Amino acid sequence: MADLFGMTGKIARVDLTKETVTVIEPEEEIYRKFLGGSAMGAYFLFKEGIFDPNLDPLGPDNLLQFMVGPVTGAGPNARITLVTKSAYNIFCASTCGGHFGSEMKYAGWDGIQVVGKASKPVYLAVMDDTIEIRDASHVWGKGVEEAELILKSEVLAELESREGMLRDADLNPTWAAMRPPKRTGMHEKRLAQVMAIGPGGENQVWYSCVVSEGARASGRWGAGAVMGSKNLKAVVVRGTKGHRLADKKTFLALVSGIQKSERGDSFWRAYGTAGIGANSAYVEDAFPIRNWQWCSWADPHVKAITGPFMDQTSFVRKTSCYGCNLHCMYPVEITSTDPLMNNVMSDMPDWEAMGMVGGNLGYMEMEGTDPGQPFTGSTRDQAEHLAKLQYTTFIHDNNSLDFIEGGNNLALVMELVQRGFIDKNDLDGIDMQWGDVHAVDEMVKKIVARDGIGDKMAQGTYETARYFAELKGKPEILNYAMTAHHYGQPAHDVRSPKDKNAMEYVTVNRACAHTGGGTAGFKTGDWAAAIAGQNVNAAQNSLVHCQFAAGHWAGSRIDLIKAATGWSDFSDEDLQLVGAREYALSRLFEVHIRQLKDPKAEWDRQVPPRWFNDPLPTGPEKGAVAYEGKPDVLFNEALPAYWKERGWTEDKGIPTLDTLKKLGIDDVAADVAKQHL
Amino acid sequence: MAEIKRRDEAPKPEKEPKKTETSASGVSRREFLVGSGAGVAGLVIGGVIGNQVIGKPAAPAVEAPAEAPAAGEESPYKAGYNLVFDPVQCTGCMECAVACSEKYATLLHPEETANIVSLEFARIRPMRFQYVDVVNFCSYCQLYEWAEGSSEFPCAAVCPEAAIATIPEGEGEAGYYGMGYKWVDREKCLGIDKCWRCAEICEDQFASGMSFDPIDRKAQVCSRCGGDPECVKACPEPGALTWIPAARNGRYFANRPSDYAELLFRKIYAHVREL
Repeated sequence: MADLFGMTGKIARVDLTKETVTVIEPEEEIYRKFLGGSAMGAYFLFKEGIFDPNLDPLGPDNLLQFMVGPVTGAGPNARITLVTKSAYNIFCASTCGGHFGSEMKYAGWDGIQVVGKASKPVYLAVMDDTIEIRDASHVWGKGVEEAELILKSEVLAELESREGMLRDADLNPTWAAMRPPKRTGMHEKRLAQVMAIGPGGENQVWYSCVVSEGARASGRWGAGAVMGSKNLKAVVVRGTKGHRLADKKTFLALVSGIQKSERGDSFWRAYGTAGIGANSAYVEDAFPIRNWQWCSWADPHVKAITGPFMDQTSFVRKTSCYGCNLHCMYPVEITSTDPLMNNVMSDMPDWEAMGMVGGNLGYMEMEGTDPGQPFTGSTRDQAEHLAKLQYTTFIHDNNSLDFIEGGNNLALVMELVQRGFIDKNDLDGIDMQWGDVHAVDEMVKKIVARDGIGDKMAQGTYETARYFAELKGKPEILNYAMTAHHYGQPAHDVRSPKDKNAMEYVTVNRACAHTGGGTAGFKTGDWAAAIAGQNVNAAQNSLVHCQFAAGHWAGSRIDLIKAATGWSDFSDEDLQLVGAREYALSRLFEVHIRQLKDPKAEWDRQVPPRWFNDPLPTGPEKGAVAYEGKPDVLFNEALPAYWKERGWTEDKGIPTLDTLKKLGIDDVAADVAKQHL
Repeated sequence: MAEIKRRDEAPKPEKEPKKTETSASGVSRREFLVGSGAGVAGLVIGGVIGNQVIGKPAAPAVEAPAEAPAAGEESPYKAGYNLVFDPVQCTGCMECAVACSEKYATLLHPEETANIVSLEFARIRPMRFQYVDVVNFCSYCQLYEWAEGSSEFPCAAVCPEAAIATIPEGEGEAGYYGMGYKWVDREKCLGIDKCWRCAEICEDQFASGMSFDPIDRKAQVCSRCGGDPECVKACPEPGALTWIPAARNGRYFANRPSDYAELLFRKIYAHVREL
């Protein structure tokens, strides 16, 4: 095969049922079309027939892919995208930072794909070309933090794992008499990187994620449940082969330039995403509070969700992903008068956590008050509120749960209790009142264990709402499920005109993703601009590079790809096409796996009714509703116009055969498209 | 306490006829050694004493730096310094390792690594233990004569080929090795397939400062870039990685990585975590 740079040209296919590892060597043409990451993953979902509606996402035939791109490795950060068919029966392409992506490239792999199901708990030990399926019974049941620290020591390069050779005679007699060698050999280096699931993934909670470095996660759409369904606890990788680059000098100079630019970025380097808190609540009016009943507190004195307050209270240090100078993650140690939370190690929380398992669970108000009232507490009270939020972040991370979907799920139940639809008798005796971290702790334990009501809630927000709606014979309960396309809404509301636009969540190719892009275009109705924004973001998830650092990359992105791969003619247009291909494939995937006859009615319109029904009650955008309160304009005018601009049909949003041909993906997708056109 | 004096003026190749001016500090190396080492037992200076005690022939026959700065002028190459990292400031971004690896891969394996970035040539490696980062590199441990029968570096003491040498001022290659820091004589080193005593004694009793390159499979150890470490220059976080006058035996900086991580969990998080 052609001499490849940037990529290694090899993807490992591990079959856990047969206990075999085979190597896939895609043609260079495939890399040029899809780059890697999410678009490449989408391609394989089609190539391998994962679009089959009868294929059980949690069955052995599902394909779980760990994919990186041509600049992952020595690039200025190391994200990895996990692509699979989600337990929710939707498209999953979820990215994660840390060091794992780089290490996988250094081990010589563009991807690791897992099929089948192991007969007992296992983990994959990837040491360069060698991939072993190893017993994981000693870490099964453990949280991600402990499991990772144990597994890290078990995968060493050959050079680092020699048996003992030292004899007493190698030391001088005085030394040997004082402290003879133990002759235990070499094994002290810890250079492996780990992605693991916790008990949530093991028990196949639908919204479980895959976690690296204790708090970084391929968070959304439930890749952890798929991993758990395969009895796969973790993938541990150690690579010594390095990253092969067409023009190393240029590549490293570009990386260095990006890093220098990042060093001047005081926004990210100050508090990471925690810096957005106050702005989101008090300027944008788009912060999730009590299941989105409010999006800003009436009293802007609530400040436990802000970067400075979190830093003053708890930030201990800052950590970077490989090669990045933004160090946006801050590990913390929780200090609280409540022994449940005191001394627990957690992280920040980041932007999504502070919304979804902070404001959204009613942690930030004094007892007996609601967000519409003045704040009467002290700084000390706010520190305790922050502790609750950080503790809830920790229990989601350590059990490998997505706190976005999890926060919506818990907040739904709390609102149903608030409104009297259900009470603690429906919740195995747990009294889910706003702000009660002990109740949340008990409920999360039940969800993770799939015990009692936890077994129902383990299927996510929408299914929880459906369960209670049927149980109580009250379909209006579904109005309180804050999900779009059956997946929980992240911490950006669409009622305020200052944050996301409703069209963004309706059209994004991964259910209710907040990282889809194209915001400005959607707000102005410039569909071409919106699509270009979406395509760039999809291509970022294929490269794979971080959206936080995107501003620092943007000017060098194409040059980096060229320097890595040697594709001297690669252009922005090619990058757009990568995103367009992923969008076309993922759209067909969603329509086909659910066998939608009328996608608009059955799928696209599944958004939170609250968007249009409940005007914002407080804050600078008080009274606002989504899309100016015109859902029909959104779905009957804007959406078809957007589809048309993408070259999809205006009635169902199916990519036309002509479009597929133009994108060069008719070979894998045309047969599926024909069934729905 | 004995005063610790720095040696950061120009290196003066010993073979050269001595110039008439004294250095800026007015302290010759011998005076410096006596002043710092003799007064307080156990207080010694990293590489410089090692060089004196080991007394092995300086290994690689490399020309002295072509243009040594004039005497009295500030030299970038410092003797008697040590490398220290601050685990609170370090973010684990790996830029030190990339800088180190690139520098020595290009020096030693230019053809093989013309198109490859690999961290395996780095003498410094950050290791992430989730919430703490341990930056792993040779600490310049020294044995104590009165207790351990030698004042050598432990790795050098167990090397059967005397391949781990201390390169004195005026020898070595400016910016790579010299100025009283270690260097592995790659001709003498037997390589990992025959011998790993240096690495094993390090991991057995001190830390994990030795590694092996993946091409020749010979030992690698931090040479402090001959007194001007590339990693320190590459580090983006002020204070995370510093190059400071050594004030004590390097062995008290040294811990095996997982032990170090355990200590950092205690220090940073008041958290006892067994690793």
